[in-house]
Amino acid sequence: MKNKFYLMIFAAVIIVILTVMFSMILKLEKETKNKMFEISTSDVFSIVQNSANTIQQYLKNSTNYIDDIKNDVLLQKKIDKNLQILITKNIKYAYLLYKDKKGILRFLADGSVTEEKAFLNQKFDADSPIWFDIYEKKVPLTIEHTLLYNLSISHIVPIIYNKKVELILAVDFSLKKVKDTDEVMNLIKNGILITIVCILMFILIFLVQIIRYKNIKKTAFYDKLTNVLNRNYLQKAKDFFNLNDYILAVLDIDYFKKINDTYGHHIGDEILKRFADIILHTTREKDDIVIRYGGEEFLVLAKTKRNDNLSALNLIERIFFNIQKNKFHISNEDFINITVSIGVNLTPHYSKNFSEAFKLADIALYNAKNSGRNNIAIYDEKNKENSNISINELNFAIEDDRVICHFQKIVDAQTQETSYYEALLRVIDKRGNLIKPDKILPVIMGTFMLRDISRKVLNICYEELLSNQEIYINVNLSPEDLINEPIIDILKNYATKENIANRLGIEIIQSEEIENYENAKNNLFLLKKLGYKIFLDNFGNGYSNFLYPIEIQADYLKIDGEIVRKIIDDKDSFLVLKSIVNFAKDANIKVIARCVEKQEIYEKVKTLDIEYFQGYFFSKPDLIK
Amino acid sequence: MKFFICIFTIITSLFSSQYTFLLEKYDKEIELEAKILFDIAKSSIKKDIKLFIPKITNIEKKVYSKYFILAKECKTSNFIFINKTIHNDKSCNKLNKLFFTNNYKKLLSDSKYYGAFFWCKGRPNIVFIKSRLEKKSIELPNNYNQYIENF
Repeated sequence: MKNKFYLMIFAAVIIVILTVMFSMILKLEKETKNKMFEISTSDVFSIVQNSANTIQQYLKNSTNYIDDIKNDVLLQKKIDKNLQILITKNIKYAYLLYKDKKGILRFLADGSVTEEKAFLNQKFDADSPIWFDIYEKKVPLTIEHTLLYNLSISHIVPIIYNKKVELILAVDFSLKKVKDTDEVMNLIKNGILITIVCILMFILIFLVQIIRYKNIKKTAFYDKLTNVLNRNYLQKAKDFFNLNDYILAVLDIDYFKKINDTYGHHIGDEILKRFADIILHTTREKDDIVIRYGGEEFLVLAKTKRNDNLSALNLIERIFFNIQKNKFHISNEDFINITVSIGVNLTPHYSKNFSEAFKLADIALYNAKNSGRNNIAIYDEKNKENSNISINELNFAIEDDRVICHFQKIVDAQTQETSYYEALLRVIDKRGNLIKPDKILPVIMGTFMLRDISRKVLNICYEELLSNQEIYINVNLSPEDLINEPIIDILKNYATKENIANRLGIEIIQSEEIENYENAKNNLFLLKKLGYKIFLDNFGNGYSNFLYPIEIQADYLKIDGEIVRKIIDDKDSFLVLKSIVNFAKDANIKVIARCVEKQEIYEKVKTLDIEYFQGYFFSKPDLIK
Repeated sequence: MKFFICIFTIITSLFSSQYTFLLEKYDKEIELEAKILFDIAKSSIKKDIKLFIPKITNIEKKVYSKYFILAKECKTSNFIFINKTIHNDKSCNKLNKLFFTNNYKKLLSDSKYYGAFFWCKGRPNIVFIKSRLEKKSIELPNNYNQYIENF
């Protein structure tokens, strides 16, 4: 409908332009023709006037021009000769007329020499009232012939005696003169018309190409499945967003992989379509921007109103609740409910550029997911001091070699000798403060920087192992590291060196990702084959199950610090700890109790058959001396 | 390709006025002549007009037949229009019919013509001679007065 309207407007504009152009051409044609005719006839008109003057000279002694000519044959011949001189290719006839008493024009003399020569007193049927106007106006006049087929114009000159028009000297121009002019005019007119048509055709082709380009551009920038903007658009437009005008919200459908695996990709696609529909219907078409930038990840730029970003946040909340309320049909009868985790950056304008603002929204999303999903987490720039390190700071830290490791001892329960060191990531900020992993990991999770940090930590540990052949070091790897080929390649490379793999332990935490990715599990087995020991960290927290350590063939279980901390006051925690220790014994897996921070905890864990302890009671993380 | 077809169509239509050879020959002058003559004849004869044109051409036949009943010979006609030079043909002269010519000189020299329609200086001219009109008892409408000459 809108396109039709624009098409009609366009057609109307073209018609108006063409009409104006053609009327201008017609006007130009007429004016040019007149001008050309005027130029080509001005000399002739002067000659005709001279001829009229000559005839008047012949009659200088006459008091009655008409009768004198009628009665004097010699004078008639003299005038005829004078008129003959005027006849050329262009002047067809030249003759002298008078008006009789009845008001009829009659011939007195004629320059024609053929049969066309008029008789004396022959009646002249005037074809225009202008012939009689000359008696009033007493000046030369031009008569344009439109009905006569072989004459174009007549030029008539009055011969005056006693202030009265006595005679009329008339010359008739043949069509040739006009035809010559018309031919030139037609050439010019056709040339102009062809030029205009060509220009219009090129404009038309140009417009068609623009429309086609816009359509292609639209196809390139819109996601075919969900009909929202896609990642290409984000790449192209991200530098042009005015971050003062928007809040950023990153949306991720919870457990979407499970939906795909359970119901198939077709249903997954349908859910994505519906999900995008809900967002589009909730957002404001002209103000907000919706982008699908990943599989089930969407970005919403919600427009704010003059420093009031609450209304924009309300919009995000409406999206959140609309998705919760909506029934996502998986068949005609059945439906499922889905939830979404949303990370919001309320102050994107504090960031240097869009990428950084987006990263902060992504951090908030990470926090939303970590808080159990199905919620909205807001990144608050005002609490930055107590929050995470920024990506930029981390970049500078890597460049300035301010990424280091502190090592915490893991001591043998019997001898209390150091058996292993756990390498713990530290970043030294510009003021010399140490930043711990809880302020670093949320920022780098899911980014390429995680790989860079992991490589750096692995390298530090490798250097320590090379410099001290007696020590054993454990390094923490994330599930993402375990499916990262460059990291696995580094570990493969270390394993080729003597006495390295057996002294480098890999600490991992039980996670959904490792369980889901067959690749991660296979890589774990590979590392184990290469001689690395596998330490399962934080065992006993909410997500642990007892089959998992056996499944991944863990060598050590590191008990969740929270459980250890609580055993003094909480009997249940002690029972859980005891059960884990017993299970580990039966599964032939060694146990490490983490967070042994006080004498009381030590006294209590000592009563259980635990092989290793780690915590502030024995040592704080520090550089290896 | 479409573009060139469009351009070709536009150019050929611009020069369409040049294609007169495709049309049948047509004479505007004869058409005008026939119209005027029909008016004159109608005003001169109250009965049905049967026109005879000696040595009539095909195009004249075609044009005049639109206005007149054409007689094949002089004796079956009541209105004769002599528009060509005919020598020694006096068969029609004996008959009491209306004669019209396209030559002013003939009109002046031969009293059988009561009027003429001719082209003078590229303009159509009509002349009737008053005495001949009276002789033949022809009363023309007033709008013909300006064409009646009293010699």
